[in-house]
Order: sequence, then C-alpha cells, then structure tokens
Amino acid sequence: MAAPVALSYTHVHSLRVASGAEALVARVLDGSGNAGFGFTLNLDAGVARDMAAWDALGQARGVPLHGLLGGSYRKTVRLVRDELPAIPADWTALRKDILEGRHELLRIDPFAWGSVEMVQTIAAVAAAFDLSIALLAPNAHPWEIQYCAALAATLKGEDTRIIVRTNATKAVNVSGLPGIGIDWSVEPSFSRIRWQS
Amino acid sequence: MAKLGVSSVRLTRVSIPLTLVHAGSMYVIQKTERTVVELTLENGVTGLGETWGTPDVYSLAQRFAKDLLGKDALNRFALKDLLGKSTYDNRFGRNGLATLAGLDLAAWDATARSLKMSLAELVGARKRESIDVVSTLPAAILQKAGTREDLTDHLDVLANTRRVVEFALEQLRKSGFRSFKLKSAAYSPEWDWKLLNELREAMPAARIRFDPNANYGVATATELCRRLDPLGLEFFEDPTGELEGIARLKAAVKTPVATNMWVVKDEHLVPAIRRKAVDVVLGDLFMWGGIDAWRRMARTAHAFGLKPALHSVYETGIATVANLHIASALPEVEYPNDSGLHFLSSDVLAEPQIVEDGSMRLPSGPGLGVTLDRNKLEKVTLETMQIGGPR
Repeated sequence: MAAPVALSYTHVHSLRVASGAEALVARVLDGSGNAGFGFTLNLDAGVARDMAAWDALGQARGVPLHGLLGGSYRKTVRLVRDELPAIPADWTALRKDILEGRHELLRIDPFAWGSVEMVQTIAAVAAAFDLSIALLAPNAHPWEIQYCAALAATLKGEDTRIIVRTNATKAVNVSGLPGIGIDWSVEPSFSRIRWQS
Repeated sequence: MAKLGVSSVRLTRVSIPLTLVHAGSMYVIQKTERTVVELTLENGVTGLGETWGTPDVYSLAQRFAKDLLGKDALNRFALKDLLGKSTYDNRFGRNGLATLAGLDLAAWDATARSLKMSLAELVGARKRESIDVVSTLPAAILQKAGTREDLTDHLDVLANTRRVVEFALEQLRKSGFRSFKLKSAAYSPEWDWKLLNELREAMPAARIRFDPNANYGVATATELCRRLDPLGLEFFEDPTGELEGIARLKAAVKTPVATNMWVVKDEHLVPAIRRKAVDVVLGDLFMWGGIDAWRRMARTAHAFGLKPALHSVYETGIATVANLHIASALPEVEYPNDSGLHFLSSDVLAEPQIVEDGSMRLPSGPGLGVTLDRNKLEKVTLETMQIGGPR
C-alpha cells in the first residue's frame, strides 16, 4: 500500500553521490502539483517512489512523516555500529523465525523491504511479539540515516535504533520538517538534476 | 503545521431507544447508552468521537480529557500514555481502553479534518467507497425487555423461531442485507439448530454468523457447531470460551471461528496466533483502545493468517462511520462490518447513514465526513460536560 495520495507525475533519475555510489532519486507530483522526493542506493526504484509519495503528502499537508502515520515515540534515535546481517526481505521466513523465537532485535533494511507500509506492518508484528527493530542504513549515507530516523520515530520499543556498518555517532535527531525530512543539499549533485516537466 | 494542540473536549452522555428488543445471552436491552466526544483543536477544528456510555466511562473520559488539553493531536500514539506506560500500569482496565478509544477517535478525526484528508486516507488509504454491513438478529423476537426467565420461557416454544426468520427477511427486504449475525441466548442448542437451519433455508445465499457470546460450555458448543457445519455459516463467533476452549472447538469444526471476547487487547494476540485458536479476530475499536491499536492488530493478525474484522454493538453514526473508514483503509479487512445503527430510533448526525443493498457508503469530505446535529443530540442527552475552552 502506497501513500494515500493520487500522483499525476513520477520520474526517476540516477545520480552519482559524493562517495561514488549510484543513487536513484524519484520525484513525484500530486494532483495539485506538490512535489515529493525519494531515493535509494539499492537501485530498486520502487522504494524511492514510495518514499517520494509520502514526502509529497507530508509536504502538501505541512507535517512530517510521523504526523501522517500516527505519531512519534521519540525525538532522537540511537545510531549504533552493528555488523550482523540484516534479515532478508522474505516475509514467510521472518514470520516463521518470529514464531520460533529466533529474534530479539529485527534488523530490517527498509530499502530492501520496499515501502513505508511494509515497515509499518513489521513494526506492528514486532510490537505484538515484544521485539525491537533496528533499521539498517546500508551505506551510512546521510539520506539513508535521515530516512531511517523518520521511520524510527514511529516504531515502539526502547531498543529502537539505526544501525550502520561504520563508526557511528551516538544519536540522530528526528526531523520535524514536513515530509520525510531529508536534507537533499548534502549531495550537491541533487540540485543539478533536470527534472522533466 | 508544527502542532495540533487540543484546546477543549466536550462530552455528552446519550441514551437512545432501540427499535427492537435486543435479546442475547448477555443481556436483553431496548436502548443504547453512549458518550459523544467533541474534541476541539487550537486551530478551531473539531473532531468527533464516541465511546461507551456507562457512568464509569463518562467519568473517566472527563478525567482523561483534562490530561489531554494542550497535547498534540498529530502525536496520537502518545494518547495511550493516559493509561500508563504498560498494561501493568493501566489501572482502568477495559473502561480505560474504551475511554481512550473515544478520545483517540476524535483526535484522528480532528487531525484528518485539519489535514483535509478523509479518515480512511489518514488511516491508510481510501480503497472502498461502500462497505457491506451485518444486520443483528436477536436470539428471539420479544415485545419488551424482560428477565432472563422471560426469554427462556419464550425459547422453550420452538415454534417461535419463525418470528426471527420473519424478522431477518424483513431486514433483507427493507435494506438488502446480505449478512446477518444471529445472537444466541445460549440456552437451547435445539432452538439454535432449528433457527439456523430455517434461516439458511429462507436465505440460501446469506452470510450468517452465529454468536452465543461464549455462554455454551465447550462440550455443548462443540457438539452444536459440528451439527451446524453443513450449513456453511460465515463463522461461529465466540461459540464458547476461553481461549483454550475456543481453540479446541476450532480444531473440531470446519466453519471458521471468530472471537470478540478472547482476543481483545494487544497481549491476547500472540497467544491466539501460537495456539491457532481462531480464524477471525472480530476486533471492537473500543475494546482495543483506538485506531492505532486496531490497525496494529489487523496487520499482525493478517500477517499470521488470521482475518481481522470490525465488531460493533449499538453505536451512533459516529462510530459506525469510523468503522466504515477503517474497513475502507485497511485491505486486511475482508468481512462485512458489524453495525447496529439501523436499529437506533434516532442518531446524533445531521446526515442520515443509510443501509442500501446491504452496504453503507463512506461519507465524503475531510475526517469522518459527518456533522453533529445539535437538536438531535439534545433530544437524547443525559448529561454533558465541557473540559477546557470557553464555557
């Protein structure tokens, strides 16, 4: 399930970020012309479009993602270095593992699981089974960390955290800005994208 | 939009006569009592909610409403803090969850109105414009509410089952209902067996759910439900209890088994999943403590192969419409919504909420898409209280 917004335009552009990695950046317009942006460094445009739709909705309504999803459990999220593998994006296997008690902390790569809705479903299951969630920012890119923070705001559990594979600062703030709260200017190449009208 | 602060809450306890005598195993009643919630934000937008109308819940709602003033309706997750940080801390039990749900619904409505979104969109998406609803069938057709003995005397005469069948056919003719819930007094398996057979014969295509409210023992219920299996009922709702009993019954029958009594809050869900105790979680918004709790239940239940559905009793148009929005928003909801609004002698909304061809349409417009009718409200008011804001 995507964001509850009708889109009149979607476009995906590839981009080289400062680290040299390739990103896909999506731009969408809702029916009133409000723009939203999303991205991924996983090269699966679906997650970027989903993110952009939520961003457009939040921008149009003037509220952050957590305001659309029901609220925020926290103002900051712990950022932790953790090299354990993320749980593969396989719902059948995850359900089985949860029933068998194989997890205490669900290491979820939101870019692999594909949508805000999917993360919310995992969050509901985690809350029911009293499990915590760690959101993986796979490349530790600032955009990934900011998006994970926006999602983490909506997740129950004292152990909620963002995990990165590199050295980590202690915490990251949850943005109060409308939409998904990403500072696109950290990548100068973003402003050079020529979007089709 | 940095914050949607709550500036006042108005609570109105109402009593509305029913147009039928509701007879089941738990009670025989002729009226419904509810608390209507009007929650106004600092931006002037008012959201509507509703909850149980018992004096205890009305009193608790006043207490919670005072704590709600100044809180941010955008952060509806935080409303649960009114009950305490954990289930252990919730000293208010079911009344607390129901009270919270009424205020929570008003906060969702006020937020959706402020964001110019329908409630369905704010909950998830507006996927369906009309939702099939279920007509309750009383265990017996009585002329007036009486004692349990009055009811059982009536049930001793098996020929009286015909009156319930005629009542069902009248609902079918009037409003095109395709789904029915037969309440059972859980007094006479022979009455239930005969009546359900007659209902099936009279309405071969209808979805029929059977609800004795867990007042049959496990052995009696299992024996009865096995006999009823060939009728192809929609589900057995709380044929017995508790979770272990209903799980054993489920293992013995082919018809799906639903509960609105044994899986009614967060901590019931995982044991029910592990025990494979039920097929359908017939969740009541007010027992679950509000929209987010209900939505989490629906997602989790569905993820593990259970089907979530919306339970209700005799609610006003406010909660009835809220349930329509939730059903529209969540693809996990496949079963028709319970609804008793069509048996209320009046409503509190300006816009009539009509059942046509067995379904109800989602109102258009932001939030719930409905407006309170002050004149109608006053006529059914028992007491009212304003917390915060101008007096």
